[in-house]
Amino acid sequence: MTGMGGGVILIPALTLLGMDIKHAIALSILSIIATSSGSASAYVRDHITNLKVGMFLEMFTIVGALAGARITLTSSPRPLFIAFGVVLLGSWAALLLLGHQSWESAASQDSFSRWLELEGSYSDKALGKTIEYRGRRAYLGAPLMFGAGVIAGLLGIGAGALKVIIHDLVMGLPPKVSTTTSNLIIGVTALAGTSVYLASGLINPGLAGPVFLGVAVGALLGTRLLVRMTNQSVRRFFLFVLIVLAVEMIVRGIRGV
Amino acid sequence: MEGPEAAAPVEPNREPSRQLEMDALLSYILLYGVVISLALVTISLIWKWLATGQVGFVYELAGMNLYQFATTQIRTTLAGQIRPELLMNLGIAVLMLTPFMRVIASLVFFAAVSKNWKYVLFTSFVLVVLTYSLFLR
Repeated sequence: MTGMGGGVILIPALTLLGMDIKHAIALSILSIIATSSGSASAYVRDHITNLKVGMFLEMFTIVGALAGARITLTSSPRPLFIAFGVVLLGSWAALLLLGHQSWESAASQDSFSRWLELEGSYSDKALGKTIEYRGRRAYLGAPLMFGAGVIAGLLGIGAGALKVIIHDLVMGLPPKVSTTTSNLIIGVTALAGTSVYLASGLINPGLAGPVFLGVAVGALLGTRLLVRMTNQSVRRFFLFVLIVLAVEMIVRGIRGV
Repeated sequence: MEGPEAAAPVEPNREPSRQLEMDALLSYILLYGVVISLALVTISLIWKWLATGQVGFVYELAGMNLYQFATTQIRTTLAGQIRPELLMNLGIAVLMLTPFMRVIASLVFFAAVSKNWKYVLFTSFVLVVLTYSLFLR
């Protein structure tokens, strides 16, 4: 959908239907492989995704995801509910504060980012021109992406919102590049997390099939619906959903489900 | 603002046509992986529904890694015991292998086409960690 809204909505929904939160997390992270790969496919074809930025940052997110998933396996459900709610609150705040600032190419690039060749260009169809950009502060982006990976593995979400913020604010990538590259990274990160959950027997194929299919159909319908809505109404809708789910998850965590 | 030529003097993979071909290949891997996996899951659910009148599967996987998972499925297929459950498992296996294949293709690209050894190293690291994770127990 919009780089957010997959797992973030799926997990509260599954737990409300009575599923144990760890099983919900495992199913969610499996479905995320599908949604992120599906949309990444289109963006890679249009040459917007930056493969180098993706590969470099994936080194950090996958290790984070493995660690995060391990933590979930040993954790009790209540802290997971609370952590989930807190991450939702964070996404809510990010959406509220960010939103519509304009992007400008970084004037200077640090030597580490230059060594990593973190630059590129893409043709922006909306603006009708080619945008050149240079990524910077990779030394800061990398450890932050490890953190995003931990959250992704821990809670079974793509943590797309978080990744986009790191790309945008820390590394100075243009919004389209950051969204599409984060999509590429999410697929691999989700795979690392899924492996841990599969090995621990938390993935129930009987439930995975219907959920996976439902998510795919939902993502398709969601995209159709989103293009008809204005950016403002999409944003307001997500702001509302995120705050409601955040409060709900935290309350359930505190009250013991 | 400086021009882009100030940033990177030598960059072999700027070779546009090769880069475009690579993007197309990665895009196909991702797309077909998801489509094949969705198709297997859909067929499995319809088959189950036709056979039993319900779409719910009641079975769990004992904890196993993808390697054991895949070999079990292949053995079952060779034994001719194709059941809805098998298609479902295959769908999940294909889905999990999709990003994995994408990383392998990226590695081949960095090594064979752009000869960018720095990124060969990075991509190999990702591949090793992912492979390790697939063999987790």
